[in-house]
Amino acid sequence: MAQNAVTAPAERKPKKQRQSQFSGMSKALIRRETISAYLFLLPSLIFFVGFVVIPMVMCVVYSFLDMGLGEAGTFTGLSNYVRMFQDPVFIRGFWNTVIIVVVAVPTVTAFSLWVGSAIYQMKPFTRSFFRCVFYLPVVTGTVAVTVVWKWIFNAYYGVLNQVIGTTGYNWLGEERTALACIIMILFTTSIGQPIVLYVAALGNVDQSLIEAAEVDGATKLQVFWKIKWPQIMPTTLYILVITTINSFQCFALIQLLTSGGPNHATDTIMYYIFDTVYRYNDFGYANAMGVVLALIIAVFSALQFKITKTDNG
Amino acid sequence: MNMRKPLALLLAAGLTLGLAACGGGATTESPSGGSSETPAGSTGSGSAETVSLTLWTYPVGSFADNLDATIAAFNEVHPEIQITYETIDYQNGDTRVTSAIQGGSTPDLIFEGPERLVGNWGRSGVMVDLSDLWAEDAASDISAGIAESSQLDGAYYMYPLSVTAHSMAINYEVFEAAGALQYIDEETRTWTTDGFVSAMAAIRDAIAAGTVNVITPGIVYCGGQGGDQGTRALVNNLYSGYFTNEDGTAYTADSAENIQALELLKTMVDDGSLDANTSFVASDELQAFANQTCAVTFCWNYSNYVQYAEQTQFTPYVMAFPSDDGVPELEMGFYGLGIFDNGDEAKIEAAKEFIRFVCNDETQAVECVKQTGFFPVHENFGDVYAGTDEEETKAPFALMSTYLGRFYNLTPGWTEQRTNWWNMLQQIFTDAKDVQTAVTDYVTASNANIG
Repeated sequence: MAQNAVTAPAERKPKKQRQSQFSGMSKALIRRETISAYLFLLPSLIFFVGFVVIPMVMCVVYSFLDMGLGEAGTFTGLSNYVRMFQDPVFIRGFWNTVIIVVVAVPTVTAFSLWVGSAIYQMKPFTRSFFRCVFYLPVVTGTVAVTVVWKWIFNAYYGVLNQVIGTTGYNWLGEERTALACIIMILFTTSIGQPIVLYVAALGNVDQSLIEAAEVDGATKLQVFWKIKWPQIMPTTLYILVITTINSFQCFALIQLLTSGGPNHATDTIMYYIFDTVYRYNDFGYANAMGVVLALIIAVFSALQFKITKTDNG
Repeated sequence: MNMRKPLALLLAAGLTLGLAACGGGATTESPSGGSSETPAGSTGSGSAETVSLTLWTYPVGSFADNLDATIAAFNEVHPEIQITYETIDYQNGDTRVTSAIQGGSTPDLIFEGPERLVGNWGRSGVMVDLSDLWAEDAASDISAGIAESSQLDGAYYMYPLSVTAHSMAINYEVFEAAGALQYIDEETRTWTTDGFVSAMAAIRDAIAAGTVNVITPGIVYCGGQGGDQGTRALVNNLYSGYFTNEDGTAYTADSAENIQALELLKTMVDDGSLDANTSFVASDELQAFANQTCAVTFCWNYSNYVQYAEQTQFTPYVMAFPSDDGVPELEMGFYGLGIFDNGDEAKIEAAKEFIRFVCNDETQAVECVKQTGFFPVHENFGDVYAGTDEEETKAPFALMSTYLGRFYNLTPGWTEQRTNWWNMLQQIFTDAKDVQTAVTDYVTASNANIG
């Protein structure tokens, strides 16, 4: 007991230190500053609650309803979820989505890292030039990008067919090639931001560590894996998560280029959600798919956190 | 416990769910509104005397382009009714209207055809019953077929302005150069199925010989539902099949006539006298026709003629769809106004006044009909193009109106059927399924939605 009595004040000491930042401030001033802080937060909070939290809750609630156009909806329990796993279009869309993610995410990340590594030590002008080139598809509107690609892939007068001598081949209209074309276009529009991020991250790697390693005889590969890679891991994790989410939510390209066809070869969960809402007006089912898609993304993101074994996020 | 990971996952899930939820729910925010100035549900009245209405219009001819003048003329008669309008396109229009309905922010008036006004929104119970307008004397000269297609179970959800027949067109000079004009009847603008097959084969051979400068004779587009009336009419006419049964209780694409037609098209695609494009929708095919990639289009009417007039460096020659007996049955398209039920009686009455003015007023209605580029639904209006500069160009389109067939577009499950239709065409033309299997699957899936 005596010991406890002696140690207790010592344990409380840090609390006193934390409170010291307010020392000399009156309670009224502290209250005023606290209110000010919350007021500054309020716009973002309202936006977050209004456009993220509430829709999220609504989505979950609606997923249990049978709800058509202009209807309030009737509770149907888990029927939308059961239906989903019996729906061949959803299942095909799920696998297409997985293929897009599994192919696009590693490719985008690896290519961005390669380009970033190649250009980050270049002269500022050259580096900026390459960053601009790779970032252009990102800032160009999706519609403009798809119009150009549609022209490139056109069966009758497309540039691609002219160049490789396959006039008449319908790249976007054949099951064998349609999804690959979508992934390729997605790739070109996805690499801009990761490259910029990698260039910045690689530029921030401690040069003294690299020089020391080189003096000690480390090879370029060893320098990369032992020194650079650990330091750019937070950036890599961010890129993986963002690219994964973007790939899962690939929608505009499909809507504008293939409408999910041919024969659902390019249907994704996201496009099928859109189709279910705006073509079939089946809101309950669409929201159920939204919930499942969110869960899938959460699982993938969790796996990425786990695999990269870091919580730098 | 470190909260970053769960928070990051929660945020990722939230963003996805947020996107999905944007489409549903009675209180969901919608992107609709645009230039509309009054949210639905409000009185919309600037004062006790003034009523403000919003009008959304799909692009039908140049109707929207002349709305300023139409509204100005209306305001001379009804200065107490203010109208703002917005044009919505066929690419995103349905999305906007659906969002508006779910968000409770629909416009008061909308201009389009019966598939949407009656078959979709009317069936969903969000439109006002216009039976009182139809009971007025002014509606007495509208044909029974159009009247029948403007209502569901006795409730009229649309009041029509103009009507047209969806047809096809050929590149006259290419046909001439390929020696294919012999297969068409230039007086009646009709041709037989055999003539069609021979003409397409002649063009294919002319392409191979370098006699004509097109890439393919014709394109059966099946990339999406846009302009699907063209492919439906083509299939139905080739062997005089029907799309639905007479009372509209079943889709009948699996009839022997329709299967024979689809097998013929498949054969023609296989032998190169036609092409099938599973990534083309009607607008792509029209563009290909306009830039002479192909020699025929299966999606033609006066509105398209006007739209592509500047690009077509040839004579786009209007034709009926080929038929085994040479007697085509064309699909009717008619356009008019409907009123969304926003629960405000004053606005509904004001909207009806606008409909009377646009569709029934003998001076204004004729002008509005001309702006759509089609023909009046009021038989008493007569030939509105007689004596005008357009009389000659309108004549072949007027001729097409004499070939109108059964109107089946209000059959229940229409929306689902449209998707099933182009999926079926994709399956046939990519060899994913044989014709019989694809058609059977299509009919089974479509009839399941008839309810």
